[in-house]
Amino acid sequence: MASDTILETKDLTKRLGGKKVVDGVNLAIGRGDIYGFLGPNGAGKTTTIRMLLGLAKPTDGSIRVFGKDIRKERIAILRKVGSLVEYPSYYGHLTAVENLEAIRRLLGVPKARIDEVLSIVRLTKDANRAVKGFSLGMKQRLGIATALLGDPELLVLDEPTNGLDPAGIQEIRELIKSLPGKSGVTILISSHLLSEVEQMATRVGIISKGKLIYEDSIQRLRDQAKGRIRLSVSEPEAAWRTLLSHGHSVGWENGVLTASQTDNRTVAGIVAQLVKADYEVYRVEEESASLESIFLEMTGTEGSL
Amino acid sequence: MWRMMRSEWIKIRRSVIWLLVLVSPLIAALFGLFAANKEGDFPWIEALSLMSVLHAMLFLPLLTGVYASLLCRYEHAGGGWKSMLASPVSRTQVYVVKFILVMLMLAVTQLLLFAALLLVGFAHGFNGPIPWRELTTSFAGGWVACLPLAALQLFASVALQSFAAPLAINVVLTLPNILVANSARFGPYDPWTQPMLAMLPRTQGQDYGAFNISMETLLIVVLGSFCLFFAAGWTYFAKKAV
Repeated sequence: MASDTILETKDLTKRLGGKKVVDGVNLAIGRGDIYGFLGPNGAGKTTTIRMLLGLAKPTDGSIRVFGKDIRKERIAILRKVGSLVEYPSYYGHLTAVENLEAIRRLLGVPKARIDEVLSIVRLTKDANRAVKGFSLGMKQRLGIATALLGDPELLVLDEPTNGLDPAGIQEIRELIKSLPGKSGVTILISSHLLSEVEQMATRVGIISKGKLIYEDSIQRLRDQAKGRIRLSVSEPEAAWRTLLSHGHSVGWENGVLTASQTDNRTVAGIVAQLVKADYEVYRVEEESASLESIFLEMTGTEGSL
Repeated sequence: MWRMMRSEWIKIRRSVIWLLVLVSPLIAALFGLFAANKEGDFPWIEALSLMSVLHAMLFLPLLTGVYASLLCRYEHAGGGWKSMLASPVSRTQVYVVKFILVMLMLAVTQLLLFAALLLVGFAHGFNGPIPWRELTTSFAGGWVACLPLAALQLFASVALQSFAAPLAINVVLTLPNILVANSARFGPYDPWTQPMLAMLPRTQGQDYGAFNISMETLLIVVLGSFCLFFAAGWTYFAKKAV
């Protein structure tokens, strides 16, 4: 991963009013990653992202994008970065096309690019309507279109589904999932919901109270989230002893048997044993420790309330 | 820089700003058409006095503030600063272009007023040749004297999210103009009074208060304070967290 790092921060710190909003964050994003940047509201995601884009200055630490220092080569870096920060930016009195044209003139990309990005976000039909009449979802899609306009190598999307209804969220998610396949970009996407990035991210970083508390592949996170089988039976304590004496590794808590090995053969073996020993099996259910619960465990719940 | 200008053009070309450009010249034209003295010795200069007094005292400083506010309003409202500053442009460019636009709008206003004066003159059939030198000095001087005020108002408009706040400041500080202009001590240093001092012709006994100071002195004060205010606003904007 380190061989082709596109974005790297070292001890990135931002102090606002004496409080460290971002505290010694070390991010590393490789080329082609879809990096899920997770954390409860107020954890420091947006502040971090604003620093990555040069919109705010770090108190301490360094940021390198494409191997260049953001303090020295901000403009060269931003040429290859597309972004959507917090809320979509738009000029309400202009149409979708005019909004894109205003940014296109800054980027100096061909005019045809406007039609391309509009069709990617499926706004072609509404291209010539004033944006103030757009729904939040449409504005969000226009924001993504703006981010895509310069054909960026790095796409930074801060809470792109914030404030959308479930249908809108689904739409944005499908849209983002379809992007890397089309253009091979690296994507940094922040969210306060793990479930939102779970299906698309290849790597995740979790930030809480300004500190990066986890950074690894999504697979590692999934491994931690393995489920277990719960069995409710008659006479649980006796049943538990029986199972143990036959070499099954099961736990017993609050009158329910639990097995952490959940492959079919093990479960079948346990059930067969129980039936053979004349216990009544009422329920066999899978309890999946969701990524969500791991996420909550790591970040604590107070931040999200 | 040019790309930046062309990008701004998209944003303002369908803005209400264009209606405001017309307000002051139209009012001045009405003044001129109905109240101008056709028989005087210097009909052009008298008409200039008549038509520019309200403009220079009130509308010019007010419009400077309104233009600055309007040019920043759509950036504040829709998060435009973010998308613009996350683009490959320098903040200095953004700020300079905004300032140039404020001055351009003021230039258009001045030109329209100039045109209104010429029309009034032709309509009344003024005697004597058109005093181009005096007229040009007046309109150009009024425009140049807006530099410090434009710098201050752009600073305020960039710093304050609200559309109304910089305008309120502007109105409050514009109203005492007629009083401040009477003070030879403070008049030349008040950015809200400077346009009036520079624009009103000084021929007919207008030698009271701050009108006494020479055009050269005024110009030095104007340019000096402009540099100061512009540098302050620009430094602020360059460091501002968006």
